[in-house]
Amino acid sequence: MTKSPSWLPAPDDSNLPFFEGAKEGRLRLQRCNDCSAWMFPVRVRCQSCGSTNVKWADASGRGTVYTHARLQREYHPRHSGRLPLVMVQVDLEEGVRVNTNLIDCDPEKVKAGMSVQVAIEHSPSGEAVVVFRPA
Amino acid sequence: MTHPMNSAAAICGLGITAMGRVYRDADDLAAEAVYLAIEDAGLKKSDIDGLLINAGVGNAVSIPLHISLGLQELNVLTFMQGYGSSAGQMIQYAAMAVANGLANYIVCVFADAPLLEGQRTGAAYAGGGRRNAMGSLYPLYGFAGALPMYALAAQRHMDLYGTTQEHFAEIAIGQRKWAAMNPAATKREPLDLAGYNASPWVVEPFHVLDCCLVSNGGVAVIVTSAERARDMKQPPVYVRGFAQAHGHDAGMSNQDAAIHTPAARSAPRALTMADAKLSDVTQCQIYDCYTYTVIVTLEDYGFCKKGEGGQFIADGKLSPGGALPTNTGGGELSSYYMWGMTPVAEAVIQGRGQGGARQAKNDLILVSGNGGVLNYHATLVLSPEAA
Repeated sequence: MTKSPSWLPAPDDSNLPFFEGAKEGRLRLQRCNDCSAWMFPVRVRCQSCGSTNVKWADASGRGTVYTHARLQREYHPRHSGRLPLVMVQVDLEEGVRVNTNLIDCDPEKVKAGMSVQVAIEHSPSGEAVVVFRPA
Repeated sequence: MTHPMNSAAAICGLGITAMGRVYRDADDLAAEAVYLAIEDAGLKKSDIDGLLINAGVGNAVSIPLHISLGLQELNVLTFMQGYGSSAGQMIQYAAMAVANGLANYIVCVFADAPLLEGQRTGAAYAGGGRRNAMGSLYPLYGFAGALPMYALAAQRHMDLYGTTQEHFAEIAIGQRKWAAMNPAATKREPLDLAGYNASPWVVEPFHVLDCCLVSNGGVAVIVTSAERARDMKQPPVYVRGFAQAHGHDAGMSNQDAAIHTPAARSAPRALTMADAKLSDVTQCQIYDCYTYTVIVTLEDYGFCKKGEGGQFIADGKLSPGGALPTNTGGGELSSYYMWGMTPVAEAVIQGRGQGGARQAKNDLILVSGNGGVLNYHATLVLSPEAA
Protein backbone atom coordinates (compact mmCIF):
# COMPACT_ATOMS: atom_id res chain seq x y z
CA MET A 1 0.00 0.00 0.00
CA THR A 2 1.34 3.41 -0.90
CA LYS A 3 1.48 6.09 1.70
CA SER A 4 -1.05 8.92 1.32
CA PRO A 5 0.51 11.96 -0.30
CA SER A 6 1.53 14.66 2.15
CA TRP A 7 -1.01 17.38 2.80
CA LEU A 8 1.69 19.75 3.93
CA PRO A 9 4.80 21.31 2.47
CA ALA A 10 7.88 19.90 4.19
CA PRO A 11 8.94 22.01 7.19
CA ASP A 12 12.03 24.16 6.71
CA ASP A 13 14.50 25.79 9.11
CA SER A 14 12.19 28.77 9.59
CA ASN A 15 9.27 26.76 10.93
CA LEU A 16 10.53 23.37 12.13
CA PRO A 17 9.95 24.21 15.83
CA PHE A 18 6.29 24.88 15.08
CA PHE A 19 5.81 21.46 13.50
CA GLU A 20 7.88 19.66 16.15
CA GLY A 21 5.68 21.31 18.78
CA ALA A 22 2.52 20.22 17.01
CA LYS A 23 3.69 16.60 17.11
CA GLU A 24 3.79 16.93 20.90
CA GLY A 25 0.35 18.58 20.98
CA ARG A 26 1.73 22.05 21.63
CA LEU A 27 1.19 25.39 19.91
CA ARG A 28 4.53 27.09 19.43
CA LEU A 29 4.93 30.70 18.40
CA GLN A 30 7.86 33.06 18.24
CA ARG A 31 8.58 35.37 21.12
CA CYS A 32 11.03 38.22 21.55
CA ASN A 33 13.68 37.49 24.21
CA ASP A 34 14.22 41.21 24.77
CA CYS A 35 10.73 42.71 25.07
CA SER A 36 8.70 39.49 25.53
CA ALA A 37 6.27 40.31 22.68
CA TRP A 38 4.74 37.34 20.87
CA MET A 39 4.51 37.33 17.08
CA PHE A 40 2.73 35.67 14.20
CA PRO A 41 3.43 34.70 11.47
CA VAL A 42 7.13 33.79 11.34
CA ARG A 43 9.46 36.77 11.55
CA VAL A 44 13.18 37.34 11.87
CA ARG A 45 12.83 40.63 13.73
CA CYS A 46 10.51 41.61 16.57
CA GLN A 47 7.78 43.96 15.33
CA SER A 48 7.64 45.72 18.70
CA CYS A 49 11.26 46.49 19.58
CA GLY A 50 13.21 45.53 16.47
CA SER A 51 15.32 42.89 18.21
CA THR A 52 16.47 39.85 16.24
CA ASN A 53 16.75 37.91 19.50
CA VAL A 54 13.62 35.91 18.69
CA LYS A 55 12.98 32.40 20.01
CA TRP A 56 10.25 29.78 19.76
CA ALA A 57 8.17 29.27 22.89
CA ASP A 58 5.09 27.31 23.93
CA ALA A 59 1.92 29.40 23.78
CA SER A 60 -1.01 28.82 26.11
CA GLY A 61 -3.17 27.47 23.30
CA ARG A 62 -6.09 29.39 24.80
CA GLY A 63 -7.98 32.16 23.11
CA THR A 64 -11.28 33.53 21.87
CA VAL A 65 -12.90 33.59 18.45
CA TYR A 66 -12.34 37.01 16.86
CA THR A 67 -14.47 36.06 13.88
CA HIS A 68 -15.50 33.04 11.83
CA ALA A 69 -16.71 31.96 8.39
CA ARG A 70 -17.67 28.73 6.67
CA LEU A 71 -15.72 27.28 3.75
CA GLN A 72 -18.24 25.97 1.20
CA ARG A 73 -15.94 24.89 -1.62
CA GLU A 74 -13.44 22.04 -1.60
CA TYR A 75 -10.01 22.64 -3.02
CA HIS A 76 -7.80 20.55 -0.75
CA PRO A 77 -8.14 16.81 0.09
CA ARG A 78 -8.76 17.70 3.74
CA HIS A 79 -11.94 19.60 2.83
CA SER A 80 -13.55 16.49 1.35
CA GLY A 81 -16.76 15.58 3.18
CA ARG A 82 -16.17 18.30 5.77
CA LEU A 83 -18.03 21.27 4.34
CA PRO A 84 -18.96 23.63 5.77
CA LEU A 85 -15.53 23.80 7.36
CA VAL A 86 -15.41 26.42 10.10
CA MET A 87 -12.66 28.97 9.51
CA VAL A 88 -11.77 31.15 12.47
CA GLN A 89 -9.45 33.90 13.51
CA VAL A 90 -8.47 33.22 17.11
CA ASP A 91 -7.18 35.92 19.45
CA LEU A 92 -4.68 34.08 21.62
CA GLU A 93 -4.02 35.08 25.21
CA GLU A 94 -0.55 36.03 24.00
CA GLY A 95 -1.97 38.94 21.96
CA VAL A 96 -1.62 37.53 18.47
CA ARG A 97 -4.39 36.63 16.06
CA VAL A 98 -4.08 33.33 14.16
CA ASN A 99 -6.00 31.96 11.17
CA THR A 100 -7.14 28.37 11.68
CA ASN A 101 -10.11 25.99 11.80
CA LEU A 102 -12.55 25.23 14.62
CA ILE A 103 -13.49 21.55 14.89
CA ASP A 104 -15.98 19.63 17.05
CA CYS A 105 -18.52 22.45 16.88
CA ASP A 106 -21.91 23.26 15.36
CA PRO A 107 -21.04 25.73 12.57
CA GLU A 108 -24.29 27.62 13.19
CA LYS A 109 -23.48 28.18 16.87
CA VAL A 110 -20.01 29.66 16.52
CA LYS A 111 -19.93 33.29 17.65
CA ALA A 112 -17.35 36.03 18.04
CA GLY A 113 -16.02 35.95 21.59
CA MET A 114 -16.38 32.19 22.09
CA SER A 115 -13.59 30.54 24.17
CA VAL A 116 -11.46 28.02 22.29
CA GLN A 117 -8.36 25.91 22.86
CA VAL A 118 -5.74 24.33 20.65
CA ALA A 119 -6.31 20.80 19.35
CA ILE A 120 -4.30 18.49 17.12
CA GLU A 121 -5.67 16.63 14.13
CA HIS A 122 -3.74 14.05 12.15
CA SER A 123 -3.48 13.82 8.37
CA PRO A 124 -3.72 10.41 6.62
CA SER A 125 0.08 10.38 6.45
CA GLY A 126 0.31 11.06 10.19
CA GLU A 127 1.25 14.74 10.16
CA ALA A 128 0.05 16.81 13.12
CA VAL A 129 -2.25 19.66 12.09
CA VAL A 130 -2.87 22.43 14.61
CA VAL A 131 -6.55 23.37 14.88
CA PHE A 132 -8.83 24.69 17.64
CA ARG A 133 -11.93 23.36 19.39
CA PRO A 134 -14.44 24.95 21.77
CA ALA A 135 -12.94 25.24 25.29
CA MET B 1 -7.86 79.47 3.86
CA THR B 2 -8.04 77.21 0.83
CA HIS B 3 -5.55 74.35 0.87
CA PRO B 4 -2.94 74.93 -1.87
CA MET B 5 -3.69 71.49 -3.36
CA ASN B 6 -7.47 72.04 -3.47
CA SER B 7 -8.19 72.27 -7.22
CA ALA B 8 -4.53 72.62 -8.15
CA ALA B 9 -4.77 69.61 -10.48
CA ALA B 10 -7.39 67.99 -12.66
CA ILE B 11 -7.99 64.80 -14.60
CA CYS B 12 -8.06 65.57 -18.31
CA GLY B 13 -7.87 62.15 -19.95
CA LEU B 14 -9.38 58.69 -19.49
CA GLY B 15 -8.68 55.47 -21.35
CA ILE B 16 -10.50 52.18 -20.73
CA THR B 17 -9.75 49.04 -22.76
CA ALA B 18 -12.11 46.14 -23.39
CA MET B 19 -12.66 44.28 -20.10
CA GLY B 20 -13.06 40.66 -19.07
CA ARG B 21 -11.74 37.60 -20.85
CA VAL B 22 -9.43 39.61 -23.07
CA TYR B 23 -6.49 37.26 -23.52
CA ARG B 24 -3.71 39.75 -24.09
CA ASP B 25 -0.53 40.68 -22.24
CA ALA B 26 -1.07 43.12 -19.36
CA ASP B 27 1.75 45.29 -20.77
CA ASP B 28 -0.14 45.64 -24.05
CA LEU B 29 -3.44 46.36 -22.29
CA ALA B 30 -1.62 49.08 -20.33
CA ALA B 31 -0.22 50.55 -23.55
CA GLU B 32 -3.64 50.58 -25.20
CA ALA B 33 -5.19 52.28 -22.15
CA VAL B 34 -2.50 54.98 -22.32
CA TYR B 35 -3.08 55.61 -26.05
CA LEU B 36 -6.85 55.77 -25.44
CA ALA B 37 -6.35 58.30 -22.63
CA ILE B 38 -4.06 60.48 -24.79
CA GLU B 39 -6.64 60.50 -27.59
CA ASP B 40 -9.47 61.16 -25.13
CA ALA B 41 -7.57 64.17 -23.73
CA GLY B 42 -6.84 65.56 -27.20
CA LEU B 43 -3.11 65.38 -26.53
CA LYS B 44 -0.18 64.08 -28.54
CA LYS B 45 2.05 61.34 -27.24
CA SER B 46 4.90 63.86 -27.17
CA ASP B 47 2.94 65.93 -24.63
CA ILE B 48 3.22 63.14 -22.05
CA ASP B 49 6.10 63.83 -19.67
CA GLY B 50 5.11 61.68 -16.71
CA LEU B 51 4.15 58.04 -16.22
CA LEU B 52 3.06 56.31 -13.03
CA ILE B 53 2.52 52.56 -13.29
CA ASN B 54 0.61 50.11 -11.09
CA ALA B 55 0.32 46.39 -11.85
CA GLY B 56 -2.34 44.04 -10.51
CA VAL B 57 -2.15 40.52 -9.18
CA GLY B 58 -0.35 39.31 -12.31
CA ASN B 59 2.36 41.91 -11.61
CA ALA B 60 3.17 42.02 -15.32
CA VAL B 61 3.45 45.75 -16.00
CA SER B 62 6.49 47.70 -14.94
CA ILE B 63 8.92 50.47 -15.80
CA PRO B 64 9.71 49.14 -19.31
CA LEU B 65 6.15 50.12 -20.29
CA HIS B 66 7.63 53.50 -21.23
CA ILE B 67 9.71 51.71 -23.87
CA SER B 68 6.66 49.85 -25.21
CA LEU B 69 5.02 53.26 -25.46
CA GLY B 70 8.02 55.02 -26.97
CA LEU B 71 8.02 57.63 -24.21
CA GLN B 72 11.63 58.71 -24.11
CA GLU B 73 11.56 62.16 -22.55
CA LEU B 74 9.80 61.71 -19.25
CA ASN B 75 10.30 63.97 -16.25
CA VAL B 76 8.44 61.65 -13.88
CA LEU B 77 8.49 57.84 -14.04
CA THR B 78 7.94 55.27 -11.36
CA PHE B 79 6.19 52.02 -10.47
CA MET B 80 3.83 52.26 -7.53
CA GLN B 81 2.14 49.64 -5.39
CA GLY B 82 -0.51 50.12 -2.73
CA TYR B 83 -2.79 47.31 -3.96
CA GLY B 84 -6.37 48.57 -4.23
CA SER B 85 -5.36 52.01 -2.98
CA SER B 86 -2.82 52.44 -5.80
CA ALA B 87 -5.04 54.23 -8.29
CA GLY B 88 -5.99 56.90 -5.76
CA GLN B 89 -2.37 57.14 -4.65
CA MET B 90 -1.06 57.60 -8.20
CA ILE B 91 -3.47 60.46 -8.82
CA GLN B 92 -2.42 62.10 -5.54
CA TYR B 93 1.30 61.95 -6.35
CA ALA B 94 0.62 63.06 -9.92
CA ALA B 95 -1.45 66.01 -8.65
CA MET B 96 1.38 67.13 -6.38
CA ALA B 97 3.92 66.73 -9.20
CA VAL B 98 1.98 68.77 -11.78
CA ALA B 99 1.10 71.41 -9.19
CA ASN B 100 4.79 71.85 -8.44
CA GLY B 101 6.06 71.88 -11.98
CA LEU B 102 7.75 68.49 -12.11
CA ALA B 103 5.75 67.55 -15.19
CA ASN B 104 2.79 68.80 -17.22
CA TYR B 105 0.83 65.69 -18.19
CA ILE B 106 1.22 62.59 -16.05
CA VAL B 107 -0.38 59.33 -17.12
CA CYS B 108 -1.43 57.00 -14.29
CA VAL B 109 -2.01 53.50 -15.59
CA PHE B 110 -3.19 50.16 -14.20
CA ALA B 111 -3.47 46.94 -16.18
CA ASP B 112 -3.80 43.30 -15.32
CA ALA B 113 -4.49 40.02 -17.09
CA PRO B 114 -4.98 37.36 -14.40
CA LEU B 115 -7.53 35.41 -16.45
CA LEU B 116 -5.91 32.69 -18.51
CA GLU B 117 -7.62 30.89 -21.35
CA GLY B 118 -9.19 27.64 -20.14
CA GLN B 119 -8.66 28.48 -16.47
CA ARG B 120 -11.44 29.09 -13.95
CA THR B 121 -12.01 32.63 -12.77
CA GLY B 122 -11.45 31.64 -9.14
CA ALA B 123 -7.93 30.44 -9.87
CA ALA B 124 -6.77 33.95 -10.70
CA TYR B 125 -6.73 35.28 -7.16
CA ALA B 126 -6.44 32.01 -5.20
CA GLY B 127 -2.76 32.33 -4.30
CA GLY B 128 -1.43 33.82 -1.11
CA GLY B 129 -0.89 32.95 2.50
CA ARG B 130 2.55 33.07 3.97
CA ARG B 131 3.95 29.64 3.47
CA ASN B 132 5.65 29.28 6.79
CA ALA B 133 4.65 27.68 10.09
CA MET B 134 0.87 28.03 10.42
CA GLY B 135 0.86 29.82 7.07
CA SER B 136 1.79 26.58 5.36
CA LEU B 137 -1.44 25.14 6.75
CA TYR B 138 -3.60 27.79 5.09
CA PRO B 139 -4.68 25.62 2.14
CA LEU B 140 -5.77 22.93 4.62
CA TYR B 141 -7.75 25.48 6.61
CA GLY B 142 -9.32 26.98 3.48
CA PHE B 143 -7.48 30.32 3.57
CA ALA B 144 -6.75 31.18 -0.06
CA GLY B 145 -6.31 34.78 -1.15
CA ALA B 146 -8.25 37.73 0.22
CA LEU B 147 -11.76 36.32 -0.09
CA PRO B 148 -11.95 34.34 3.19
CA MET B 149 -10.43 37.24 5.09
CA TYR B 150 -13.17 39.59 3.90
CA ALA B 151 -15.81 36.93 4.62
CA LEU B 152 -14.45 36.68 8.16
CA ALA B 153 -14.57 40.45 8.53
CA ALA B 154 -18.17 40.55 7.26
CA GLN B 155 -19.22 37.83 9.72
CA ARG B 156 -17.83 39.81 12.64
CA HIS B 157 -19.93 42.79 11.53
CA MET B 158 -22.96 40.47 11.48
CA ASP B 159 -22.15 39.06 14.96
CA LEU B 160 -21.56 42.47 16.55
CA TYR B 161 -24.24 44.59 14.87
CA GLY B 162 -26.87 42.29 13.42
CA THR B 163 -25.97 43.09 9.83
CA THR B 164 -27.82 40.62 7.61
CA GLN B 165 -27.32 38.68 4.40
CA GLU B 166 -30.04 40.90 2.91
CA HIS B 167 -27.88 43.95 3.53
CA PHE B 168 -25.08 42.40 1.47
CA ALA B 169 -27.67 41.41 -1.14
CA GLU B 170 -28.87 45.02 -1.37
CA ILE B 171 -25.35 46.13 -2.34
CA ALA B 172 -25.08 43.47 -5.07
CA ILE B 173 -28.60 44.05 -6.40
CA GLY B 174 -28.42 47.85 -6.27
CA GLN B 175 -25.13 47.97 -8.14
CA ARG B 176 -26.49 45.61 -10.78
CA LYS B 177 -29.22 48.16 -11.43
CA TRP B 178 -26.55 50.73 -12.17
CA ALA B 179 -24.64 48.25 -14.36
CA ALA B 180 -27.74 47.73 -16.49
CA MET B 181 -27.32 51.37 -17.56
CA ASN B 182 -23.59 51.03 -18.28
CA PRO B 183 -22.87 49.67 -21.77
CA ALA B 184 -19.30 48.85 -20.69
CA ALA B 185 -20.36 46.71 -17.70
CA THR B 186 -19.64 42.97 -17.80
CA LYS B 187 -22.78 41.86 -15.90
CA ARG B 188 -25.92 43.74 -16.93
CA GLU B 189 -28.71 41.18 -16.56
CA PRO B 190 -31.21 42.02 -13.80
CA LEU B 191 -30.59 40.56 -10.34
CA ASP B 192 -33.11 40.09 -7.53
CA LEU B 193 -32.93 38.61 -4.04
CA ALA B 194 -33.82 35.13 -5.29
CA GLY B 195 -31.04 35.32 -7.86
CA TYR B 196 -28.60 36.51 -5.21
CA ASN B 197 -29.60 33.70 -2.83
CA ALA B 198 -29.25 31.15 -5.64
CA SER B 199 -25.66 32.24 -6.22
CA PRO B 200 -23.35 29.53 -4.80
CA TRP B 201 -21.60 30.04 -1.48
CA VAL B 202 -17.84 30.44 -1.63
CA VAL B 203 -16.92 31.21 1.95
CA GLU B 204 -20.13 31.86 3.87
CA PRO B 205 -21.37 34.62 4.43
CA PHE B 206 -20.24 35.34 0.86
CA HIS B 207 -21.98 34.07 -2.22
CA VAL B 208 -20.21 34.34 -5.57
CA LEU B 209 -22.25 37.52 -6.10
CA ASP B 210 -20.73 39.14 -3.00
CA CYS B 211 -17.37 39.06 -4.76
CA CYS B 212 -15.94 41.34 -7.41
CA LEU B 213 -15.44 40.17 -10.95
CA VAL B 214 -12.02 39.16 -12.19
CA SER B 215 -11.10 41.10 -15.31
CA ASN B 216 -8.34 41.44 -17.83
CA GLY B 217 -7.97 45.01 -19.04
CA GLY B 218 -6.32 48.37 -18.54
CA VAL B 219 -7.32 51.86 -17.40
CA ALA B 220 -5.31 55.07 -17.67
CA VAL B 221 -6.03 58.60 -16.52
CA ILE B 222 -4.05 61.76 -17.28
CA VAL B 223 -3.46 64.33 -14.55
CA THR B 224 -2.49 67.90 -15.37
CA SER B 225 -2.59 71.30 -13.69
CA ALA B 226 -6.01 72.87 -13.21
CA GLU B 227 -4.87 75.76 -15.38
CA ARG B 228 -4.00 73.49 -18.32
CA ALA B 229 -7.13 71.38 -17.89
CA ARG B 230 -9.45 74.36 -18.28
CA ASP B 231 -9.19 74.62 -22.06
CA MET B 232 -8.82 71.03 -23.15
CA LYS B 233 -10.94 68.66 -25.20
CA GLN B 234 -12.75 67.17 -22.20
CA PRO B 235 -14.46 68.92 -19.30
CA PRO B 236 -11.96 69.00 -16.42
CA VAL B 237 -12.53 66.92 -13.32
CA TYR B 238 -10.80 68.80 -10.52
CA VAL B 239 -8.96 67.09 -7.71
CA ARG B 240 -10.41 68.96 -4.77
CA GLY B 241 -8.96 66.93 -1.95
CA PHE B 242 -7.17 63.72 -1.10
CA ALA B 243 -5.62 61.66 1.68
CA GLN B 244 -4.34 58.20 2.51
CA ALA B 245 -4.27 55.99 5.59
CA HIS B 246 -2.42 52.72 6.03
CA GLY B 247 -0.94 50.41 8.58
CA HIS B 248 -3.20 47.75 10.04
CA ASP B 249 -1.58 44.51 11.14
CA ALA B 250 -4.14 41.71 10.87
CA GLY B 251 -1.85 39.43 12.91
CA MET B 252 -2.21 41.36 16.17
CA SER B 253 -5.26 41.04 18.37
CA ASN B 254 -5.14 44.60 19.71
CA GLN B 255 -6.81 45.91 16.54
CA ASP B 256 -10.42 45.36 15.51
CA ALA B 257 -9.27 45.41 11.90
CA ALA B 258 -12.39 43.73 10.50
CA ILE B 259 -14.57 46.60 11.67
CA HIS B 260 -12.43 49.73 11.98
CA THR B 261 -10.52 50.40 8.77
CA PRO B 262 -8.03 53.14 7.81
CA ALA B 263 -10.83 54.75 5.75
CA ALA B 264 -11.89 56.48 8.97
CA ARG B 265 -8.61 58.43 9.06
CA SER B 266 -8.48 59.10 5.33
CA ALA B 267 -11.83 60.65 4.39
CA PRO B 268 -11.93 63.48 6.97
CA ARG B 269 -8.53 64.73 5.86
CA ALA B 270 -9.49 64.53 2.18
CA LEU B 271 -12.68 66.51 2.86
CA THR B 272 -10.77 69.09 4.90
CA MET B 273 -8.42 69.64 1.96
CA ALA B 274 -11.48 70.00 -0.28
CA ASP B 275 -12.99 72.49 2.19
CA ALA B 276 -16.11 70.34 2.13
CA LYS B 277 -18.37 68.47 4.53
CA LEU B 278 -19.67 64.95 4.19
CA SER B 279 -23.14 66.40 3.59
CA ASP B 280 -21.78 68.17 0.48
CA VAL B 281 -21.03 64.81 -1.17
CA THR B 282 -23.54 64.11 -3.96
CA GLN B 283 -22.29 60.69 -5.04
CA CYS B 284 -19.76 58.03 -4.02
CA GLN B 285 -17.53 55.66 -5.92
CA ILE B 286 -16.59 53.16 -3.21
CA TYR B 287 -14.08 50.35 -3.70
CA ASP B 288 -16.25 47.23 -3.67
CA CYS B 289 -14.03 44.16 -3.82
CA TYR B 290 -16.79 42.56 -1.73
CA THR B 291 -20.28 43.77 -0.78
CA TYR B 292 -19.18 44.20 2.83
CA THR B 293 -16.39 46.61 1.81
CA VAL B 294 -19.00 49.18 0.75
CA ILE B 295 -20.84 48.97 4.07
CA VAL B 296 -17.75 49.24 6.26
CA THR B 297 -16.28 52.05 4.15
CA LEU B 298 -19.46 54.16 4.28
CA GLU B 299 -19.48 53.72 8.07
CA ASP B 300 -15.82 54.67 8.41
CA TYR B 301 -16.39 57.65 6.11
CA GLY B 302 -18.98 58.81 8.65
CA PHE B 303 -22.19 58.54 6.62
CA CYS B 304 -23.69 56.62 9.54
CA LYS B 305 -22.63 55.34 12.96
CA LYS B 306 -20.33 52.35 13.25
CA GLY B 307 -22.45 49.22 13.00
CA GLU B 308 -25.40 50.90 11.29
CA GLY B 309 -24.10 50.53 7.73
CA GLY B 310 -26.45 47.67 6.90
CA GLN B 311 -29.54 49.60 7.96
CA PHE B 312 -28.16 52.74 6.30
CA ILE B 313 -28.09 51.17 2.84
CA ALA B 314 -31.17 48.95 3.26
CA ASP B 315 -33.61 51.53 1.85
CA GLY B 316 -31.87 51.48 -1.53
CA LYS B 317 -30.27 54.91 -1.15
CA LEU B 318 -27.18 53.79 -3.07
CA SER B 319 -29.24 52.56 -6.06
CA PRO B 320 -30.58 54.51 -9.05
CA GLY B 321 -32.97 57.18 -7.75
CA GLY B 322 -31.59 56.90 -4.22
CA ALA B 323 -30.34 59.72 -2.00
CA LEU B 324 -26.66 58.74 -2.23
CA PRO B 325 -25.91 57.34 -5.70
CA THR B 326 -22.96 54.98 -5.26
CA ASN B 327 -20.94 52.88 -7.70
CA THR B 328 -22.97 54.22 -10.57
CA GLY B 329 -21.20 52.14 -13.21
CA GLY B 330 -21.99 48.87 -11.43
CA GLY B 331 -18.72 48.85 -9.51
CA GLU B 332 -16.25 46.02 -9.25
CA LEU B 333 -19.14 43.66 -8.51
CA SER B 334 -20.90 44.16 -11.84
CA SER B 335 -18.87 46.32 -14.27
CA TYR B 336 -15.23 45.24 -14.19
CA TYR B 337 -12.40 44.83 -11.66
CA MET B 338 -9.42 47.08 -12.27
CA TRP B 339 -8.56 47.54 -8.59
CA GLY B 340 -8.87 51.23 -7.64
CA MET B 341 -9.22 52.32 -11.26
CA THR B 342 -12.80 51.01 -11.33
CA PRO B 343 -14.12 53.69 -8.95
CA VAL B 344 -11.74 56.31 -10.35
CA ALA B 345 -12.80 55.78 -13.97
CA GLU B 346 -16.50 55.98 -13.11
CA ALA B 347 -15.85 59.14 -11.07
CA VAL B 348 -14.20 60.75 -14.11
CA ILE B 349 -17.13 59.80 -16.38
CA GLN B 350 -19.59 61.14 -13.81
CA GLY B 351 -17.53 64.26 -13.11
CA ARG B 352 -17.60 65.12 -16.81
CA GLY B 353 -21.36 64.58 -16.97
CA GLN B 354 -20.84 61.75 -19.47
CA GLY B 355 -22.77 59.10 -17.53
CA GLY B 356 -25.72 59.03 -19.94
CA ALA B 357 -28.71 57.20 -18.48
CA ARG B 358 -26.82 56.62 -15.23
CA GLN B 359 -25.61 60.20 -14.75
CA ALA B 360 -26.02 61.22 -11.10
CA LYS B 361 -25.63 64.59 -9.40
CA ASN B 362 -21.91 65.20 -9.64
CA ASP B 363 -21.17 68.36 -7.61
CA LEU B 364 -18.87 66.50 -5.22
CA ILE B 365 -17.72 62.94 -5.79
CA LEU B 366 -16.11 60.90 -3.00
CA VAL B 367 -13.87 58.13 -4.30
CA SER B 368 -12.29 55.36 -2.22
CA GLY B 369 -9.48 52.91 -2.86
CA ASN B 370 -8.94 49.96 -0.54
CA GLY B 371 -6.11 47.46 -0.56
CA GLY B 372 -4.99 44.33 1.25
CA VAL B 373 -7.63 43.15 3.70
CA LEU B 374 -8.97 46.58 4.64
CA ASN B 375 -5.35 47.60 5.31
CA TYR B 376 -4.50 50.32 2.80
CA HIS B 377 -6.69 53.26 1.90
CA ALA B 378 -6.79 56.26 -0.42
CA THR B 379 -9.54 58.87 -0.76
CA LEU B 380 -10.12 61.37 -3.56
CA VAL B 381 -12.62 64.23 -3.65
CA LEU B 382 -13.40 65.13 -7.27
CA SER B 383 -15.65 67.76 -8.80
CA PRO B 384 -16.47 69.39 -12.15
CA GLU B 385 -16.07 72.73 -10.34
CA ALA B 386 -12.83 74.13 -8.99
CA ALA B 387 -12.79 75.53 -5.45
